[in-house]
Amino acid sequence: MSRKSLDRRTFLRGLGTAVALPLLDQMLPTAQAAGATGALAKNAAAKVRPNRMVFMFVPNGMHMADWTPATEGAFELPWIMQPLKNVKSDFSVISGLAQHNAQPLGDGGGDHARSGAAWLTGAHPRKTSGADIKNGISVDQYAAQRLGALTKFPSLEIGIEAGNQAGNCDSGYSCAYSSSIAWRGETTPVAKEVNPRAVFERLFGNGQDGEEAVSRFQRDRYRKSILDFALDDARDLQNKLGTRDRRKLDEYFTGIREIEQRLAYVEKSNFQAGGVRPNGTPRDVGEHIRLMGDMMILAFQADLTRVCTFMLANDGSNRSYRNIGINEGHHEISHHGRSADKLEKIRQINRFHVEQLAYVLEKMKATREGDTNLLDNSMVVYGAGIGDGDRHNHDDLPVLLAGGGAGTLKPGQHIKAANPTPMCNLFVSMLGRMNVKTDAFGDSSGGLL
Amino acid sequence: MTHRRFAHAQPRALCAASLLLAGGGAWRASSAPPQKFVPIQTSPKSAHPTQNSTAKPTAKPTLKPATKPITHEQLWTRDVLPFVDKYCASCHIGKAKGGVSLKDFRTPDAVFKDAALWERVAQNVGDGAMPPPGSPQPTAQQRRDFVAWSESALSKAQGKILDPGRVTLRRLNKAEYDATIRDLFGLDFHPAADFPSDDVGEGFDNIGDVLSISPLLMEKYLSAAEQISEKVISVPSRAKAHYETDRLEGAGLQDGSRFMSSTAEVFAQHNFTQDGEYLVRVQAWAHQAGGEPARMKLKVGDKEIKIFDVTAVADKPQVYEEKVTAAAGKTRVAAGFINDFYDEKLPEGRRDRNLAVDWIEVVGPLNIARELSPSHKKIIFREPAPDATPQQLTEAAREIVTRLARRAWRRPPQPSEIERLLRAVEMARKDKEPFERGIQLAMQAILVSPNFLFRVELDAEPNNPKASRFLTDHELATRLSYFLWSSTPDEKLDWWSDKGALSKPQNLLHQAHLMLKDARSQALTDNFAAQWLHLRMLDQLSPDPDAFPVFTDDLRDAMKAETLAFFGNVVREDRSILEFLDANYSFLNEPLAKLYGVPNISGPQLRRVTFSGETAKRRGGLVTQASILTLTSNPTRTSPVKRGKWVLEQFWNAAPPPPPPGVPDLPGATVNPNLSLRQKLEQHRKNPSCASCHARMDGIGFSLENYDATGAWRTKDGKFAVDTSGTLADGTKFSGPVQLKTILKARKDVFARCFAEKLLTYAIGRGLTTADKRTVDAIVEQAKTKNYRFSSLIDAIVLSEPFRKKRGDDAK
Repeated sequence: MSRKSLDRRTFLRGLGTAVALPLLDQMLPTAQAAGATGALAKNAAAKVRPNRMVFMFVPNGMHMADWTPATEGAFELPWIMQPLKNVKSDFSVISGLAQHNAQPLGDGGGDHARSGAAWLTGAHPRKTSGADIKNGISVDQYAAQRLGALTKFPSLEIGIEAGNQAGNCDSGYSCAYSSSIAWRGETTPVAKEVNPRAVFERLFGNGQDGEEAVSRFQRDRYRKSILDFALDDARDLQNKLGTRDRRKLDEYFTGIREIEQRLAYVEKSNFQAGGVRPNGTPRDVGEHIRLMGDMMILAFQADLTRVCTFMLANDGSNRSYRNIGINEGHHEISHHGRSADKLEKIRQINRFHVEQLAYVLEKMKATREGDTNLLDNSMVVYGAGIGDGDRHNHDDLPVLLAGGGAGTLKPGQHIKAANPTPMCNLFVSMLGRMNVKTDAFGDSSGGLL
Repeated sequence: MTHRRFAHAQPRALCAASLLLAGGGAWRASSAPPQKFVPIQTSPKSAHPTQNSTAKPTAKPTLKPATKPITHEQLWTRDVLPFVDKYCASCHIGKAKGGVSLKDFRTPDAVFKDAALWERVAQNVGDGAMPPPGSPQPTAQQRRDFVAWSESALSKAQGKILDPGRVTLRRLNKAEYDATIRDLFGLDFHPAADFPSDDVGEGFDNIGDVLSISPLLMEKYLSAAEQISEKVISVPSRAKAHYETDRLEGAGLQDGSRFMSSTAEVFAQHNFTQDGEYLVRVQAWAHQAGGEPARMKLKVGDKEIKIFDVTAVADKPQVYEEKVTAAAGKTRVAAGFINDFYDEKLPEGRRDRNLAVDWIEVVGPLNIARELSPSHKKIIFREPAPDATPQQLTEAAREIVTRLARRAWRRPPQPSEIERLLRAVEMARKDKEPFERGIQLAMQAILVSPNFLFRVELDAEPNNPKASRFLTDHELATRLSYFLWSSTPDEKLDWWSDKGALSKPQNLLHQAHLMLKDARSQALTDNFAAQWLHLRMLDQLSPDPDAFPVFTDDLRDAMKAETLAFFGNVVREDRSILEFLDANYSFLNEPLAKLYGVPNISGPQLRRVTFSGETAKRRGGLVTQASILTLTSNPTRTSPVKRGKWVLEQFWNAAPPPPPPGVPDLPGATVNPNLSLRQKLEQHRKNPSCASCHARMDGIGFSLENYDATGAWRTKDGKFAVDTSGTLADGTKFSGPVQLKTILKARKDVFARCFAEKLLTYAIGRGLTTADKRTVDAIVEQAKTKNYRFSSLIDAIVLSEPFRKKRGDDAK
């Protein structure tokens, strides 16, 4: 006579009807009452604020004269940053950072490939257009691999331009370098998603809106079994494959394990994202960027991930920004040769990108999290891997750091590091604030903040 | 295996070197006989076209004097060794500048031992890169002798190498995944459209070494497998009425169930929508007592259907179900308790027998005919009878799953693998899901298995580079079909490979020919040609609409379609690949015809047009097609450099090295509006570090200046008259597209070799190494004797060792 009156079926059915509430508000009392034991709920109970790490990349350098603030410490917004006036006290500018390993170091041309590849890795990519790409692990993946178990997705990789289809992308460098800033390991760039609808479906499921929690539970159970069978199949092959083949099979194993972890992760958040499902990729590039930003913010709100890389374009991108009246390709005009006309267009593109950044930061700031907001509980790095697009220099890079880092950062400063200070020093400091303590990353020589 | 390591680090080396070995730097060749192009010294000064006034515009071929019968060793001593000692020694014998030491190369044997390094040496001498400018320079004749000796020595060295190579485990790329699903299941569905872009290496997206699987892709595979199985297999969807305790009548509620402590009935009033067969399901449990289990009588109306032994207990209720035939109308569906028992003398827990019902479900009608797709019927070719036993169900599933795995995995499955798949079927059966649901799950397991996603070729000695073997018939069928169709072998090929007869050369060729005639060989055009020619880049380009208002999405599509149709026609009609260089026809629709100035073509569909009159001088061959001309332009202007580079790369496999760091781009129009593009480029080339490469590219590009950035014919570029004169690196002067094509056709062997290398790379999914030179030689030879017909190259590739054999991995 000891039968429970509420079985799992009934419980799961209940989950499907939760309403959208700001994350912490929702997770705190109700989630605990419903039995959720996720890290966020625990954090919330212990008044620990979650922290996020975002890296937003723009290609082809920056018009530095209108980027770098005139004064150290408190500063007036330079022309390119003027769209950020509503979040002026929520970000700092850091000058003097460098990615030494993006330089040729004897490898000749290919600065765009190297700039993308080295931006978050601090590693010197091997010059190859094919078989044997080699770079380093990127800071976001370094964090994701150590934080991954906290959230459903260890990290989110999004962008606006798909990787190129054919040809080597830059002077004998594989397209992987200029189109990927996230690297899971030395030889594995992480594919990014460029279709907002696909991001949404990945985050929130396959679009079966009416699917009952019961059948979702059954589907997940079937998925787990099917992956188990696949793993068995893969193990059968292992011994009859050569060394290089097994590397490919290892990627397969990793892929399956990540999905299994995700399935094992109990849906700890009642977050429902109904009503915001994107239809596809907008034609307007600004709208596309903003929609991708929305997807990132949704993922943070639902605590589906804490780490995100976002490429506003691939490095070397030759996109024409028609929407702001620029018909030439971005890369083409970035080789401005001091032409006043081209310089003007470059700074307009730079400012256009910053306008999109402003949208994202303002929206993060407007997203409440308990007594604070999402921007307060994030660290957003925005910048390029090249300083001047014509010179292809990789020192004194344009870098902006927004957000409060869960109360660990004091934004609103122009911080001048002695040029060239390794950009990886910034990463070391950021990793610490994500509770991923390390003394060194990439080519760092210490911390920064 | 030094030669392989070298080829790995320098993927272009073979191509460039083989070009050279075929007769020298092909791009500067017209002063030499067509079969024997001779490299000309290219010091930066002489390479600069505008400064090179000594070259004759139409140099007559000067035949090489007949070689005297002189031995290899004698030539080494007479020509080569003195050359090394005089021109190379100061940097490469005492020292090892650039990591290259020649101090061990004192005998011809040393060359055989490290052919790869010598190949690089010969290449650098041949194209003038070494000795570097500023050092004492050999004469052109000395360079020729050096290269000629090296060519013959390296051929000998390669003759000794028997290495079929090894391709790394290849996963299906996006195009292959979609085509495979299409051909396996007859689905017009493109699951791979949402997959992340494929990695590209060696110019193609089917190269084993670079194709990787990210967790994101793995997720997509899983979700694609689910979607495919749901589209192909139709699971009977049943109307289902579910009566929870609150909708049941007849006994009191206790512990969340309708609880019968004595003889009683729990029932629902169900409205049967029509006459037919239904499934009635009851979830029940019991307090067990006495000598027998609780019994439950299932009744529909007054009809007694079945009596169940309810052995389930409270913690683990069970579903009891039975099919019934019912007439339309409202009828009572009841579960009754028929063997109440109570004996207070028995101990607590064994004293009182009671029956509890959690819910009743009525599913159906079941026998409604479903619209089944042909692929559903093909896969579920044996539908188990409605009253099949679990064993019969498993047997039916075994046959179905075995056949499905055979097709999807491109080989007969092992019994242990089938058992594994049957566990997926079993899982659904335990959940009381329909039979078809189980097949869906097995199908999902098949489609996410590495046996499907990878083109698996297992070896007994996977890490022994000396252990080479012929592929099995199944592996060979797979290579063949993914080469020609980008898709899975069809049932005909399966039949040949199951018989073990495909590997017989005459059968292999016969099948290959049949496959080329099949519509699926369009994949060669869509996947090979589109990548060879960089056509996929066209989708990402958008010429400046102010400068080029004619350019619309329709025109872009037409451009791409023209080139694809042109290539496809050569494949389909088995024409000469030299038509890629020049032809008097193409495929046009109205937007293109307008762009080309061809009258009387209307409508969006392409048709074959034979060029005549003035158009015949302007159009014909790939370099005159708007697609190529547009994708080698910048958004606002043409780029002679890009056009020249495209010809070097795509036709001669001789891409120039990347520009050195810190090279400024062309000055913008605002800097000096009085300079034409040509004048700006010429200024640019005054920089000696730019000159040597630009001398190779720019002349070719200039000859195409009559085509604007969208490929339209023009005679003026802004305010400047178009000047189409160009100079090759060797000083040959020419002008306009017609003369360019004459030069291209004169170098047909260089083109054929380039084409063969690209096609072989695509076929075997790996970069070529020095050891593959023999294969390439054979392909080119074969093509030459067969008038360069497309199928002659396919034949030679399909029969080649790298295609039919493999060896163990040499990775450390």
